[in-house]
Amino acid sequence: MAITIQPYTEDMVSAVCAFNEVLEAGAVPPEFRFPESSVPAWLPPVGNRRIYQKYYLAVEGDAVRGGFILKYQDFSLGAQIRRIAYYHLPLSQGIVNKAYAGVGVMMLRSALKLEPVLFALGMGGFDRPLPLMLKAMKWKLAAVPFFFRVIHPGPFLREISALKRSPAMRLGAQFAGRTGVGWFAIHAAQRFRQRAVNIKTQTGLVSEFGSWSDDLWRECSSTYAFIGSRDSATLNILYPPGKKFFCLRVTRDSSLLGWAVLLNTQMHGNKYFGNLCVGSIVDCLAAPQHAEYIVQAAAEFLVRQGCDLIVTNHSHGRWGVALTRSGFLSGPSNFVFAPSPALADALGPTQAISEIYLTRGDGDGPVNL
Amino acid sequence: MTTRLLNERIFAVVADVMEVPAAKVTPVSSPETMETWDSVHHLNLVLALEQEFNLQFEPEEIDQLKDVQHILRIIATKSGAN
Repeated sequence: MAITIQPYTEDMVSAVCAFNEVLEAGAVPPEFRFPESSVPAWLPPVGNRRIYQKYYLAVEGDAVRGGFILKYQDFSLGAQIRRIAYYHLPLSQGIVNKAYAGVGVMMLRSALKLEPVLFALGMGGFDRPLPLMLKAMKWKLAAVPFFFRVIHPGPFLREISALKRSPAMRLGAQFAGRTGVGWFAIHAAQRFRQRAVNIKTQTGLVSEFGSWSDDLWRECSSTYAFIGSRDSATLNILYPPGKKFFCLRVTRDSSLLGWAVLLNTQMHGNKYFGNLCVGSIVDCLAAPQHAEYIVQAAAEFLVRQGCDLIVTNHSHGRWGVALTRSGFLSGPSNFVFAPSPALADALGPTQAISEIYLTRGDGDGPVNL
Repeated sequence: MTTRLLNERIFAVVADVMEVPAAKVTPVSSPETMETWDSVHHLNLVLALEQEFNLQFEPEEIDQLKDVQHILRIIATKSGAN
């Protein structure tokens, strides 16, 4: 029987549940399950909203053999506003049954037919199935740089899983943590390229984004080659008031410099962070020349919150410099950006990752943070 | 192009992508009969066939590439072989 790609409708919920049971029986990790509701819990299509998600299924008769999600959002691309899709959570029964080996590529081709200008982001690293598939299709993949700043070296050395990969590394981390060598080495590394920002800024928490953020978006959007819409309507949907986000507004002499959205999460047995208190700079916006003020204000806020570690991803080169000057170190990134051929063409010669603007607020948002 | 020549070229592409001797490829070869035929190899097969025959499969055609027999039929139709 032929497989067809169709929008996820209410009557297919039980078939999706059966599909998830097949994945579970095949020992597929639990984070790889398709939503068991046809209406997205995050970013549902509502009225005239410009940011929303749509679910699609690969259906064979009454059975679901796969599914994927398209998130639609306006982007400023070469100073023109365009709706661009983000392709994520492609799941295929081919993971557990080779008879469906073609479903993955069929879903990707279908997504490209629906929305030629799209991208994939995150994906957990270059060696995962989707990036491997995209690479085989000659897509250009690039890692969005990862930055971190250790505030409390003791807990960091004790909890971070990357330092426990081998008995020797574990022993080394324990030694460094107990003797103070680790504290010294981490602070020395972080301070090495740190530069103090001399101009004083004022920071304040805001409960929602107002017209001030629209002004900033209008001023800044065209200075970045490719950036997802960060107007107040979009931001208030992505970071709704009353949720766990800290929205920081940064000013100087009453003039707006920019904003940052932050998280402060106490981890419990997290596979990367153990039991650390992790602060994250989820999203931010300012003119490139003001990036350093925003990063410094965000870091100071998270330090006051008592974080052990601050993490962030940022693609733009100027923001990378700002993070380094604020004492952040760069680490291996598994946050991968892959534009479709049509999007790569539209990006043109500016497609270097350091010219475009991607944060953890893009893609599927600050999951795992 | 004759059907025989077309078949030979398709068998050669399948053998090359699946890393098996050409003699082991038959019309009933499929993911279930070939150990190496997984999702990644399936994608590589689709791309290799598109390149070899200078064509592009529609998503619904990709679903039909379930075994060599179906591949022969679809490519014959798309390339107008006799």
